[in-house]
Amino acid sequence: MRTKMAAAVLRGLCRARPALLPARTPQGILHRAAAGAAPSSEFRSEYALDRLYPEQNRSDAAEGTQDGTRQTSPDIPMDLAVGLSTSVFIFLDCLSISYCRSSGPGGQNVNKVNSKAEIRFHLASADWIAEDVRQKIAVMHKNKINKSGELIINSEVSRYQMKNLADCLEKIRNMIKEATQKSSVVSKENSQLLIARVQKMNRERLRQKKIHSTIKQSRRVDFD
Amino acid sequence: MAAASRGGGGGGPKALELLRALPRVSLVNLRPNPGAKKSEKRRGRGRHGGKKSGRGHKGQRQRGTRPRLGFEGGQTPFYLIIPKYGYNEGHSRRRQYHPLSLQKLQYLIDLGRVDPTQPIDLTQLTNARGVTIQPLKRDYGVQLVEEGADIFSAKVNIEVQMASELAIAAIEKNGGVITTGFYDPRSLEILCKPIPFFLRGQPIPKRMLPPEDLVRYYTDARNRGYLANPSNIPEARLELAKKYGYVLPDISKDELFRMLSTRKDPRQIFFGLAPGWVVNMSEKKILKPTDERLLRYYSS
Repeated sequence: MRTKMAAAVLRGLCRARPALLPARTPQGILHRAAAGAAPSSEFRSEYALDRLYPEQNRSDAAEGTQDGTRQTSPDIPMDLAVGLSTSVFIFLDCLSISYCRSSGPGGQNVNKVNSKAEIRFHLASADWIAEDVRQKIAVMHKNKINKSGELIINSEVSRYQMKNLADCLEKIRNMIKEATQKSSVVSKENSQLLIARVQKMNRERLRQKKIHSTIKQSRRVDFD
Repeated sequence: MAAASRGGGGGGPKALELLRALPRVSLVNLRPNPGAKKSEKRRGRGRHGGKKSGRGHKGQRQRGTRPRLGFEGGQTPFYLIIPKYGYNEGHSRRRQYHPLSLQKLQYLIDLGRVDPTQPIDLTQLTNARGVTIQPLKRDYGVQLVEEGADIFSAKVNIEVQMASELAIAAIEKNGGVITTGFYDPRSLEILCKPIPFFLRGQPIPKRMLPPEDLVRYYTDARNRGYLANPSNIPEARLELAKKYGYVLPDISKDELFRMLSTRKDPRQIFFGLAPGWVVNMSEKKILKPTDERLLRYYSS
């Protein structure tokens, strides 16, 4: 019963039809049959990938690395730079990544293993960030910029270099995101409305306080 | 009898001729194959079964008055002192995945116990004695753990049952390929111990699909599931590369691309062997089914 349900769920998810088309071998990375291997020599069941997902027209290019057109994060220059195979080189040249030993307890492991990741880059000459954003970052994080103008970000949150590096990159992305955000300007009519609301709140609060006071006074017994 | 078995292989008229000449089959002429019958050890009858008869020296052991399993001499036993609580319910029926660290994998590759030029499977890991899986103890396979992610530097095509995000990133950073696949307990037992299975003479069964709660896991490209849409995988690889800040190597330019892109069919247990086939180890032959119904069943 459970396997039948699983099969039904799978078909529901993948809209499988037992297609009788032979498997085409596109040039992308990670497709089932390697170029040149005849489909008949390999075993193909009804749940083979090309039957579960019949070939749809592929919009991505032959190499998987050229996927810089679609990003989900708002930070366009950073992801584009890492995504495109041509500009990755430039981007990693800009950042200088170094690893050193972390702080805290941990005995021999923390003393020997280089897990703290540090990223430095010269902020003023970083042309992959917009000019105004750069200046905003320079103001917001002036404590992290050294005398020669390099912005230093480090992270020792986990035991693994890779995770700490990911954390540093995340911090850089968040910095850029905060700097790109424009502070919300309250319009004239809305500002008056807000002031009126605050005043009304205060009046109501004082009224309730007076009522509560009369209740407490009415309970008092005075010896005359 | 040797003569009787020879007669069976002769064919119709030859067998009849032999039957005329050979003596009658009776209890006098019959004998089991050598090694088929092993006589039991009878206790209390002499040097090796006798004297204390395997019971030890005095005490409860020899006298057979040992208390029940779990008794701790009067102290409230473990199985009674631990309170029943919701989060422990069904703990013995939960799926377990033996952890395999990247450090151990690197160690096995460096020592030559695992061959990185061939796809790495649970069978290869078991043969290399890198992991020991007990399917009867609710083990459902092996999970890749990130210990040693920083020193991992091998390009492999590996198939595990579960993998954490950092482990996937570490393998792909070095130009490898990782897939997560589900094996039901029977297929897992066959995968871990193929030779005893082949000696049974049964046809290779088809691998069952994952249970409901695991379907979502194995159809997700982020976990590199074996049932995930292949067109989502390059995006997922790129996402990881962006997150962890490494250059995604282009595997299609690699000379081992063909090996790296080999993947098993969801119903297949072994590379190169299809369900329904019978492997004869002694004669080194493979028997494949020809009946149309069998072929339809095994490829469904």
